[in-house]
Amino acid sequence: MDPPLIQFVDLQYGDVLALLAIGFVGGLVSGFIGSGGAFVLTPAMMSMGVPGVVAVASNLCHKFPKALVGAYQRNKFGHVDVKLGLVMAASATLGVWLGADIQYQVRENFGEPGSNLYVSLAFVIVLTVVAGFVLHDAVTVYRSGRSDEEDRLSRLARWAQSVEIPGTMMHFRTANVRVSALFTLPLGFATGLLASTIAVGGFIGVPGMMYVLGAPGLVASATELVIAFVMGFGGTIKYALHGLVDIRLAMILLAGSLFGIQLGVIGTTYVKPFMIKVVMAAIMLIVVVSRGLAIPVYLAELGQLDIAPRTMEWLQIASFAFLLLALCTGGIIIIAAMLRGHRTGAMSLREQAPD
Amino acid sequence: MRRSKPYPRLIASGIVSGSLYLLLFLYEREILAAFTRTDGWYPALPVIAAFVFSFAHGAFTAYFWEVLGIRGRKT
Repeated sequence: MDPPLIQFVDLQYGDVLALLAIGFVGGLVSGFIGSGGAFVLTPAMMSMGVPGVVAVASNLCHKFPKALVGAYQRNKFGHVDVKLGLVMAASATLGVWLGADIQYQVRENFGEPGSNLYVSLAFVIVLTVVAGFVLHDAVTVYRSGRSDEEDRLSRLARWAQSVEIPGTMMHFRTANVRVSALFTLPLGFATGLLASTIAVGGFIGVPGMMYVLGAPGLVASATELVIAFVMGFGGTIKYALHGLVDIRLAMILLAGSLFGIQLGVIGTTYVKPFMIKVVMAAIMLIVVVSRGLAIPVYLAELGQLDIAPRTMEWLQIASFAFLLLALCTGGIIIIAAMLRGHRTGAMSLREQAPD
Repeated sequence: MRRSKPYPRLIASGIVSGSLYLLLFLYEREILAAFTRTDGWYPALPVIAAFVFSFAHGAFTAYFWEVLGIRGRKT
């Protein structure tokens, strides 16, 4: 038997309760928008003294069974396009490999602060662009008064679907999309690349499926769970081969997140389609603020900026607080939208009922 | 039509899920030692455990919301 490679933490009751709560809200968001939660779970575990690599490994080990349950449940409501998910996941795996390799190179050349800076910059740049796009679309749909309708095709998706490349065309039935694999491959690849950089590939995958391929928001967010399952499963095997998975942490997270994901899945059946976009954009924009606050800290650690230690401490606390805020905001919007949808549904049923 | 609530299934899946978590914490040290071994088939253990827990606890959480009357709206 190999000697233990790493010291596993002694879990305190407070830690367990915190992980259950964060797991629950992370699951709620994942069930609703297809991903999310990982950006809070990993730093939360690290703040409990869990080594970074064990936190990442344990997070992945809770992610794939959670995504499996979420995908299974959303498939019951006809939201999942399994074929699209598997095609995207195939190229996402390549993206994960390249992303991990880039991470390794950055860490080798610039050390831990350099790696953190790289991750934070990726967060800020990618999420600002994507969230801006998603929010703009959600606001446009809301203002147009078409918020009850299914998503309309973006101009980009209309163009992508019109491109006929013989031998590469694929039909995705549930998403009702016929598109060349030459569009799905780079999209899946970017999803994997982002997943291995900031841990939430869905922030590219879901908007990509909506705006580039033309899949409805509900189908895109549900299909992302298939991609998350494949990436989480592969990642868990990789880390388990090095003995880095803390099964206790993973299963505690799973305990909370399975309650959350079931509720998130139920939530998707009560809300208007554009709410997926609202929740996604809100979370992404708050995460951008969080990571933006962390950038000066990493620049100071690299000797590029002069900041007082106390200021750095406050920036780190504020950064983590904004991560929590992002997750909680997502959870609150989902629950509020569910309640509103439930009330509207009940009212229309009463109106339809004969006197 | 009013659907009956799946109390027996909730209780059965709750017992299975609760027992799994109880075992995990009663044998915490032994399980961690085995699950972090890198030789032979030991690395498969976390993956197998994740599947087993997801089936048991996934069923329990689904029945939990159903018993509370929180169900998805079929379209």
